[in-house]
Amino acid sequence: MSQFPATTPPSPAEAPAYNPRNYLNAEPGIRSWLLTRDHKRIGLMFLVLSGVFFFVGGVFALLVRIELLTPGPTIMSAMTYNRMFTLHGVVMIFLFMIPAIPSGFGNFFLPIMVGARDVAFPRLNLFSLYLYLIGAGIALYGMIHGGTDTGWTFYAPYSTTTITKVVPVLLGAFVLGFSSILTGLNFIVTTHTLRAPGITWMRMPLFVWSIYATSIIQILATPVLGITLLMVAVEHAFGFGIFDPARGGDPILFQHMFWFYSHPAVYIMVLPAMAVISEVICAAAHKNIFGYKAVAFSSLGIAFVGFFTWGHHLFTSGQSTLDAGIFGVLSMFVGIFTAIKVFNWTATLYKGAVSFTTWFAYFCGFLFFLVFGGMTGIALATVSLDVHWQDTYFVVAHFHFIMVGAVIMAWLAALHYWWPKMFGRMYPERWGLVGAVTIIFGFNATFVPQFLLGNYGMPRRYYSYPERFWPLNVASTLGATLLGFGFLLILVYLLWSLKYGRVASANPWGSRGYEWGTLSPPPTENFVGQPVYTHGPHDYTEGAVQGGDVPPGEVTHAV
Amino acid sequence: MAIATRDSHEAREHGGGHGAQRYWIVWALLLAGTFLTLVLSRVHLPSPFHLLVALAIASAKSMLVVLFFMHLAEHAGAPRLIFATSVFFIVLLISLTVLDNATRFPLINPGRGPTLQMEPPGPDILTPRGPPAPAERIDMPTVEQEGRDVPQPPPKPEH
Amino acid sequence: MQFEAYVAHHFPNLRQQEHAARIGMWLFLATELLLFGGLFTAYSVYRFLYAETFAEASHHLSVTAGTINTVVLITSSLTVALAHHLTQQGKGRAAALSLAITLAFAVVFLLIKAWEWTHDFEEGLLPGRYFHSAELTAVGAPMFFTIYFLLTGLHGLHVVVGMTVLAVLMVQCWRGRYDHGYVTPVELGGMYWHLVDLIWIFLYPLLYLI
Repeated sequence: MSQFPATTPPSPAEAPAYNPRNYLNAEPGIRSWLLTRDHKRIGLMFLVLSGVFFFVGGVFALLVRIELLTPGPTIMSAMTYNRMFTLHGVVMIFLFMIPAIPSGFGNFFLPIMVGARDVAFPRLNLFSLYLYLIGAGIALYGMIHGGTDTGWTFYAPYSTTTITKVVPVLLGAFVLGFSSILTGLNFIVTTHTLRAPGITWMRMPLFVWSIYATSIIQILATPVLGITLLMVAVEHAFGFGIFDPARGGDPILFQHMFWFYSHPAVYIMVLPAMAVISEVICAAAHKNIFGYKAVAFSSLGIAFVGFFTWGHHLFTSGQSTLDAGIFGVLSMFVGIFTAIKVFNWTATLYKGAVSFTTWFAYFCGFLFFLVFGGMTGIALATVSLDVHWQDTYFVVAHFHFIMVGAVIMAWLAALHYWWPKMFGRMYPERWGLVGAVTIIFGFNATFVPQFLLGNYGMPRRYYSYPERFWPLNVASTLGATLLGFGFLLILVYLLWSLKYGRVASANPWGSRGYEWGTLSPPPTENFVGQPVYTHGPHDYTEGAVQGGDVPPGEVTHAV
Repeated sequence: MAIATRDSHEAREHGGGHGAQRYWIVWALLLAGTFLTLVLSRVHLPSPFHLLVALAIASAKSMLVVLFFMHLAEHAGAPRLIFATSVFFIVLLISLTVLDNATRFPLINPGRGPTLQMEPPGPDILTPRGPPAPAERIDMPTVEQEGRDVPQPPPKPEH
Repeated sequence: MQFEAYVAHHFPNLRQQEHAARIGMWLFLATELLLFGGLFTAYSVYRFLYAETFAEASHHLSVTAGTINTVVLITSSLTVALAHHLTQQGKGRAAALSLAITLAFAVVFLLIKAWEWTHDFEEGLLPGRYFHSAELTAVGAPMFFTIYFLLTGLHGLHVVVGMTVLAVLMVQCWRGRYDHGYVTPVELGGMYWHLVDLIWIFLYPLLYLI
């Protein structure tokens, strides 16, 4: 019989037990949370904070979409509109997308998955949380004083000369970058040095592989963003002229340096989503992953190749045609590694025993939107096509397909999959499915019209538009409203379940992930005794569960 | 679980055992490299070589610091990979960016006449400041001209 | 104090913890390298565009000061390496003295830098729009000094941070905290200082010897 970690969860015959002595109630009081070194508490705080900022960014998005309900002014002036979409981008990317899955779920589950008691540097982990708060505070200060209107991309020379409060937002992003760097640093060292006996590199859960690849990008790319934003702030304050053509500077240099980070940044956002999906897919199909090594190494491949492609954001900026050609070709290579993952996930489902839970619904959304969003990305990487689509809604739709359609679906899948583990309670499954359907329909209604709009030529970041674009804009806004309702619904039932949800067992999904071997919610020290692992991470072959529908919530054979 | 092991103590003695001489030797080599790069900079080498020579000497000096002062020669594995990867990506960033400037349509490179004649934008970003009046324009550098520095505008004609 | 006390609860032994600390420090140094890498990119682009002007502007910097600073930093790297070596042998007080010498060199470096900058301010060789020099009139000249001040300024900031770290380590060495087999902080602090030296090794030929 295969051996799971030393703490065996209760057998199916026993009633589901909520672990009474867990990380949530281990030490009471706010002070214990503010000074905690427990990676689970830190991860939870990141989840809550990034979730709050997700809603803030969502409010900005809805305001943008409401303004776009009519071709002319609707509820705000042009200057305010510029600030709205800038803040939507800044908040969503720096305060939500970058930290949400790695600093939230990564912090919570990576040490458990490698059999460690904590991350390598717990105090540094707490420090990265405080850096997140400080960076958020500085950026919020800027937002309250009117925000900035440069777009989240801060292109020079406008960003260096604008009268809006761009410097606090830049400095906030700078500090947030260091929070991101320290998280990545912690994960890399944890993966290298704190794996339990029996967990070799080739027996690590695939979640860990993808988070590790994400951390590499965080270490290498984020400092370049830091220095770039710092240079913009310095130039804005002192007028040194480093990006100013009137002083012999090159604005395209800013774009090179900015996108050197910001393109790998999208892989910082996508790789953790793929990490979650690799975990979830095996539990969904009750089957081993198809092609463990391919999925593991393709994560590293995406991280590596992602650094070679930044120039595809500069196709129409004045970059040389030689560079454009080089970047165009290199951008195609990323598609190869993503395709490897998609094929492997699909093959994992084949002949699996799928139980259609809420998180599996989100996986379905993820898969389709990743494929379609990714393919439009490859199309955009073709220079001749990008000349027409650049700075139109086609690009906006493309990256929202990936960021919302893929990443946020994966985030929601992670929330629902790991909810019982983190809180010991089940969310209401029916409402979960209603939420998933609302999100998926709302998402489609919001962003498919935007592909059409972009193809017809509507530019992005434009406050007003010709009347012929009116119907599609209205459709997109209606979709966004539906999407907003979906998220509100999810928030409501998740919060409800914290108090009134059915108590979950240690492993309600019958998953073979390592984290399901501990109690729900986990105790502060993660395990009782030293965990020993004798089989692979997503191994469903020994003592396999019975095929067929496994109703969610039922305790299945876990060991 | 704070079980200390004896081998860490032994490793320490072993590590300190090779003596401080190697640090003095590296120091001497670094000074020699500094002197060399200074002397060679005074010799007027043809255009790409003086930069390449300076970079080669600087790289050699840094490798000495990294390998011996920072002990990378003793620690195999992750530290070497980390250092090599960061150097690789710096080179990638610089080379593809400079390649852009090197192969652009020449007029897009900064430092061209009309752009310089414009006033830098001030707080009033919305007032357009267009290109200079024809009398004050300077000629575009033609393809034959080697230098990328722009010739100064002709002195303003007395009115 | 036995070194068992230094091992944190989530590490199995001290050697594993030291290994982890070293990898962590190398990762942090990688981020510092990339941080300066962005500035070196700006330097490379503008040197490529304004090659002759950069060379001419570089002559307005004091090669003597730059060379002395290079020698000073290289020697300070030596003293830091010796300090680490001495702590490994349990000679905390000698190591503290070596660190004190390092700090003295760092102060010399900063003083020379301050002299250089003052000299540049007097000659009007300032960054960007503050540049006013009768001799250097070409386009790329203000850009050279912008890059020069940004690079040396960021480097100087790192020197100050490094000095703070080394000062703390010096005090701890003097008190004998690292005499019993736990020398990791000295090693890591030394690595930071070597990085500062490393960056200057590149700054020297690229700024002073064009």
